Amino acid sequence: MVIVMHEDATDEQIQHVIDRVVASGFDVHRSTGASHTVIGAVGVHRDFDHRDFELLEGVREVIRITQPFKLASRQFKPQGTIVDFGRGVTIGGNEITVAAGPCSVESPEQINAVAECVAKAGAKILRAGAFKPRTSPYAFQGLGEKGLQMMRQAADKHKLFVVSEVMDPSQIQMMGNYVDMFQVGARNMQNYFLLRALGETQKPVLLKRGMSATIEELLLSAEYILAGGNYNVVLCERGIRTFETYLRNTLDIAAIPVIKKLSHLPIVADPSHGTGRRDKVPPMARAAVAAGADGLLIEVHNDPDHALSDGAQSLTPGEFSQLMGELRIIAPAVNRHLS
Amino acid sequence: MNISDWRQRMDEIDKKLVELLNERCKCALEIGHIKHESNIPLYQPTREKEVLANAEENNRGPLSHGAIRRLFERIIDEARSAERIAMYGESSITDEEESK
Repeated sequence: MVIVMHEDATDEQIQHVIDRVVASGFDVHRSTGASHTVIGAVGVHRDFDHRDFELLEGVREVIRITQPFKLASRQFKPQGTIVDFGRGVTIGGNEITVAAGPCSVESPEQINAVAECVAKAGAKILRAGAFKPRTSPYAFQGLGEKGLQMMRQAADKHKLFVVSEVMDPSQIQMMGNYVDMFQVGARNMQNYFLLRALGETQKPVLLKRGMSATIEELLLSAEYILAGGNYNVVLCERGIRTFETYLRNTLDIAAIPVIKKLSHLPIVADPSHGTGRRDKVPPMARAAVAAGADGLLIEVHNDPDHALSDGAQSLTPGEFSQLMGELRIIAPAVNRHLS
Repeated sequence: MNISDWRQRMDEIDKKLVELLNERCKCALEIGHIKHESNIPLYQPTREKEVLANAEENNRGPLSHGAIRRLFERIIDEARSAERIAMYGESSITDEEESK
């Protein structure tokens, strides 16, 4: 932490700041400049709130140097985390891994049809919701455990892994029987009770960025899971709320390289929720791969016009297959591979 | 004298400076022990001010008073750190510049 004093800060004010820095257990590096005195606080204290110093008299600015997240930081594991699902499927390695599927499981026929076409196009993971956190309580709420059973069967038939959203710690044990990766939705990103519970499992967790969450908040949420001992965390950029209302959300493509630098955790992008419109999904998917995403989460529906939820943002099987072909051309340009 | 002669002279001075700084640090460690036993706070702003004033008073140049002050601020910082270790203990004199 570096504390910059006001130009007209008095000796007493400077002394008071040093006093507080020393009392907090830091070593002090005092530097009297031509106009400003700068006080460096040297040392690492995790439970420390730098804002306490901003309030002291004579202080102009406090700059925090270390990150508040530790286990999620790139320094903790410079080589990067690779989440391994088995059968050669990973997220975070050289391979770009695509998870695709409908917003919700609707019927065995529907999920099987989608699984078949996404597997054929090269997706490695089947994504679908069985418990749907809908904005309206009257909207379709999902099929629950029955939906998970349908999903598992369809995935096994087409050699796919399964990711589905968990809403509550009480579902973890039951869902663990059907899914290969738990998804934490944007609305639950700061449900710390759920995050802690997932930290106690060893199954991979796909943590989506909250729609109003900063990158730092996303990494602090990941920290909760990591702190519990589960290191299989995949982050997901899925669009944030900005002043721009033309699309459902603003997909923060820049978050991908930022997170790559700040953290060792893999990061995937969800252009379906990020845009909310089918025709905008392929361009954003291409951009995400070009920006360094480790994978994609894409909504695909065999009959989008009749989907029970999010039909407008679901690709048709044909559109998905075409997109995968385009991504295979982009991946090598950024030293990645998409099989 | 050529550059290497001057540099050799500097090296000799640096050697003495290191010895003197360590002598000074030993005093700080002793003070740390006494402060700890007598429950006196580590940070003594009046004393630090006095040290800086003494340094400036003894300064005959060519270093400016400001330059002497900045150098002594660093010496005081390190002495304070040494005293803290003497008071509260730590494996070695900190070398945590990177973890600011």
